[in-house]
Amino acid sequence: MSTIARGGPLQGVRVVELTKVWAGPYVGKLLAFLGAEVIRVESLGSIDVTRSFGVADINKAPGFQAVNPQKLSVQIDMKTPQGVALILDLLRKSDVLVENLRPGAVKRLGLGYDAVKAARPDIVYVSMGMHGSEGPLSYQTGYAPCFAALGGVSALVGHEGEAPAGMNVRYADSTFGAAAAYAATVALLHRRRTGTGQFIDVSAVECMTSMIGDTVMDFSLNGAIHACDGNRHPDMAPHGVYRCQNDEWLSLAVASDAGWCALAEVMGHPEWATHPQVRTLADRKAHEAELDRLIAGWTADRDAAQLALELQRRGIAAAKSRSSVDLVADPHLWARGFFREVQDAAGAARTIVGPSWKMTRDAAIGDAAPRLGEHNAYVFGEILGLSEAAQRELADTGIAH
Amino acid sequence: MSALKNCKVLELAEGVAGEYCGKLLADFGADVIKIERPGSGSPTRALGPFAASGPDGERSGLFAYLNTNKHSVTLDLSSAAGRATLARLVERVDVVIDDHASGWLKDVGLDPERIAEQRPALVLCAITAYGQNPPEDRVHAEDLNVFHASGWGYHTPSGARDDQPPLKGAGRFMASYEAALEAALCIAAALYERDESKLGRFIDIAKQQVLASRVDYVLGQMAAGDMDVSVDRGAFDLHGPAGIFACRDGYAYIWMSAPGHWDALARLLGHPDWMKAFPERWLERECTPERVALVRGHIAAWLKTQNKDEAAAAGQKLGLTLVAVNNAGDLRASPQYAFRGFFADVDHPVLGTVTHPTVPYRLGATPARIASPAPLLGEHSAAWLAGLAGSANA
Repeated sequence: MSTIARGGPLQGVRVVELTKVWAGPYVGKLLAFLGAEVIRVESLGSIDVTRSFGVADINKAPGFQAVNPQKLSVQIDMKTPQGVALILDLLRKSDVLVENLRPGAVKRLGLGYDAVKAARPDIVYVSMGMHGSEGPLSYQTGYAPCFAALGGVSALVGHEGEAPAGMNVRYADSTFGAAAAYAATVALLHRRRTGTGQFIDVSAVECMTSMIGDTVMDFSLNGAIHACDGNRHPDMAPHGVYRCQNDEWLSLAVASDAGWCALAEVMGHPEWATHPQVRTLADRKAHEAELDRLIAGWTADRDAAQLALELQRRGIAAAKSRSSVDLVADPHLWARGFFREVQDAAGAARTIVGPSWKMTRDAAIGDAAPRLGEHNAYVFGEILGLSEAAQRELADTGIAH
Repeated sequence: MSALKNCKVLELAEGVAGEYCGKLLADFGADVIKIERPGSGSPTRALGPFAASGPDGERSGLFAYLNTNKHSVTLDLSSAAGRATLARLVERVDVVIDDHASGWLKDVGLDPERIAEQRPALVLCAITAYGQNPPEDRVHAEDLNVFHASGWGYHTPSGARDDQPPLKGAGRFMASYEAALEAALCIAAALYERDESKLGRFIDIAKQQVLASRVDYVLGQMAAGDMDVSVDRGAFDLHGPAGIFACRDGYAYIWMSAPGHWDALARLLGHPDWMKAFPERWLERECTPERVALVRGHIAAWLKTQNKDEAAAAGQKLGLTLVAVNNAGDLRASPQYAFRGFFADVDHPVLGTVTHPTVPYRLGATPARIASPAPLLGEHSAAWLAGLAGSANA
């Protein structure tokens, strides 16, 4: 399925990935879900660690399969001059290059922007680095939680009066990838209209700052530096997460006085709606801790999902805090195609996380992540036009390894 | 030139998600007309942070941040005349962005289910909490609720204590910013195809799904049956000594998962005796809770005596992934942010000159740029509505 027309807005676009782990591959995944043909260049000599985490068979690594559906894989050893030449040949027939190798690595390999531009003048070249590709700190490296720490996100996440705890450790790579995918798509549109490609330099740390832009504006306007504030919100009260039966949790946010009236009624205390100590937002903010205690007492012996439904029926913003069991069993996520089935090369079905969006005239998505080198023949033969003998030689000499 | 020059966008959104999406397009040069309700304007004008002085409605730093490069046109969409004007405006644009609840678009005359026949060339993007036509248990939502419906809430922070509630994330609007980014991606892709096909499309962005998809590495493994699902709040966590530690001047984050990190720490600390008792490759093979606690204790004692940036620079040079936990003030002082030009001074008629955070990608040929500040309420109404009248008379 992968090499036939799948439709979608980016049908006809060819993307080459020189990527590792999560953030770079996430760019390719988004573009593939939008219809692009995405080819991962891989080799046994520098195999992505996510192909080997927790398994002996590099074609069955769960993490790799989670982030690389609907892609193609070609084996090219980019540490050899012949391999580099082959990659440049492939790029001559491609539209986008995405790389998130260590700082400076692509240049050392002979695959920096200037070299690629010489081969394909209108290439859209996407370079991803923790701090971007240049600058006084660009030598530093890190993983997702480092991006969140450096970008200002971690300092804001934690309980009131305590040291920062930070977001869940998994946060940051995919956001970084989404920003890079957006920039690449804008550059493709520009190229379609003008014929000009360009170099795109994405910083993971700045992606994180983009998720707290309004907090940074408060520093600009007022010199304010925010500390962790638990689940508080300056414009809403109550605003929190409350323990229910069986250690489940309910998130609840009251954005208006009308919402407060409705909540007071559901809680069996309609008189609270007009109580002078909690009538307005300012009143409720002043007595927030006490309100939280009252609500937590009320939710403690109730079922979180049922309570969320009851509150929703009264127009109140509430949702159960979903565990991994809740997520995988969420009927809404299945109904919308968020979880969906694809097939691997052997025809076996596999469930993946599909696109977040729904759109009309969308791209068909049917393939699981590729086996290493699954598309060697397609890339070498159909795209690059190499004879079978030439392809055999690539395999025999270890260039396609 | 700008990448999205000549793209005309009508922004009906009144929330952070839709406004940030419009900003992402406007900062690349798209012509974004923001429709605002007469009188109070966008609800984000009433949200902080606020400048100390200035008229209400024009001193919101949030609105100023989210609406750079846009035009403001006031229009009362609750009136038939307003909706008729809206219909004429829609004829002149390529894209419409909305973030009201499901059903609102139909009420103003832009039914997503009929848009393909009515306006085949229009790209219509609707951002909602759970998608169009949500089930009855998810009609009302703030970003807090979506964050918790997506799995991020339940699993934040990592290593949570049972006696404390799970958290909301950073600041007020993570769910909105993430959804806006996804919406902008889909709109740009739709415009790319539209240049050839002359066809638009309807794009349905659900915040819950955008956030849940951001943990695809874990959730994909769970959905495929490769990783256990549970009610464990640590189900997304990684184990080991990584974490945030107090320093003399704030906090630092240290990551440690491979032998190279351990060796770098040993060099940095001068090969202390306590490290010698650890077996080779223990991080990968024998990472017990006791060893993790011991290492964390020693790291905590050491970092308490260090300044975050200096410790990070020394560690990084040896191959240790140690970084500062920055706050907004640190970001403004960052030599790296200065080098990349991440901050831009924007002159605003009420707020004065304000330093804005910009975008995280640098495009060599078509950089994003803030050419004009957020508009005053109705600043461009006369020009746009007069233009419309002119065309109607012609």
